Amino acid sequence: MKRVFVSLVGAVAAAALLALNMGAAHAQEYKAQQGHAMTAMATSTTKASGLRSTLNTLFQEHIYLAAAATGAALGGREAEFKAAAAALDANSVSISKAIGSVYGQGAEDAFLPLWRKHIGMVVDYTVGVAANDKAKQDKAVADLIGYTQDFGAFLQSANPNLPKSVVADLVKHHVVTLKEVIDAQASKDQVKAYTAMRTAAGHMQMIADPLAEAIVKQFPDKFGS
Amino acid sequence: MDTIRKWRKRMAAAVLALGVVALAAPAGSQQGVTIQTFQFKPTPVEVPARTKVSFTNQDDITHIVTSGTPESPDGKFSQKLEGKGAVAIFELSQPGVYPYFCERHRSMRGEIRVK
Repeated sequence: MKRVFVSLVGAVAAAALLALNMGAAHAQEYKAQQGHAMTAMATSTTKASGLRSTLNTLFQEHIYLAAAATGAALGGREAEFKAAAAALDANSVSISKAIGSVYGQGAEDAFLPLWRKHIGMVVDYTVGVAANDKAKQDKAVADLIGYTQDFGAFLQSANPNLPKSVVADLVKHHVVTLKEVIDAQASKDQVKAYTAMRTAAGHMQMIADPLAEAIVKQFPDKFGS
Repeated sequence: MDTIRKWRKRMAAAVLALGVVALAAPAGSQQGVTIQTFQFKPTPVEVPARTKVSFTNQDDITHIVTSGTPESPDGKFSQKLEGKGAVAIFELSQPGVYPYFCERHRSMRGEIRVK
């Protein structure tokens, strides 16, 4: 009974306020809007989060497929190597399509060979390791380090929020962490190889997250909500 | 040293064969090609003979604009564009189709059509 009374008093008071005070109506409206805003903020399916998770998935996949390919190559398992290399290339195409979805077909077409280039260098390094050819290994590492500048320049050119030197350093770390995987695979230290694989894959978030963030910052209308 | 000699040779060959000139060329019509995000834009470009075609590098990396294709460079012109803002100008006097590419990034290709 008391609850009904309180409700009635509340309703009458609310009606009175509604009638007498438009400010209160605005306040209610504001509160409702805030409620909607809170609901919108609670979703995990924004375009920005979609971009970020896509890039993280693709870049981490890149590590695991590259490691599968180098592991098979070093183990002399040819059929497995071919399958892994094909899957790795499909991943490269997906990454370039993700770039193309933001920067257009021309950028996609330019990005794919640039990205594939570093995979070729990793293959060179792996071949050098398999053949115990130090000079080939050193050349591949030097090429990969040089490549980081190209990759940094590409992303900086596409997005001024991504300084070349920062991107180059991040990609350099990618090269180093992947090299750790290959070296461990070559020495047949499986524990070290899989630990290094997780480290290398984890590091890719350091590239994917800033890339996603920079794209969202560059195109707020496209990824803002 | 060999590289410098090679460049000089190439440039000399280009000047002789096509009337490729640098910035001191006489005033005339000009067509611009921008190098940005590892792409030549626009391409192909169609120009009358003796038009100056300029290449402006907007990437913060060296590109080398070279005539021909990666499989078969033809030695007609080649110029290194070291970093953002670098410009190269070529004047092509003979009608024809001139494919070109970047020697450092061989997937970058373009074409000039001289009428």
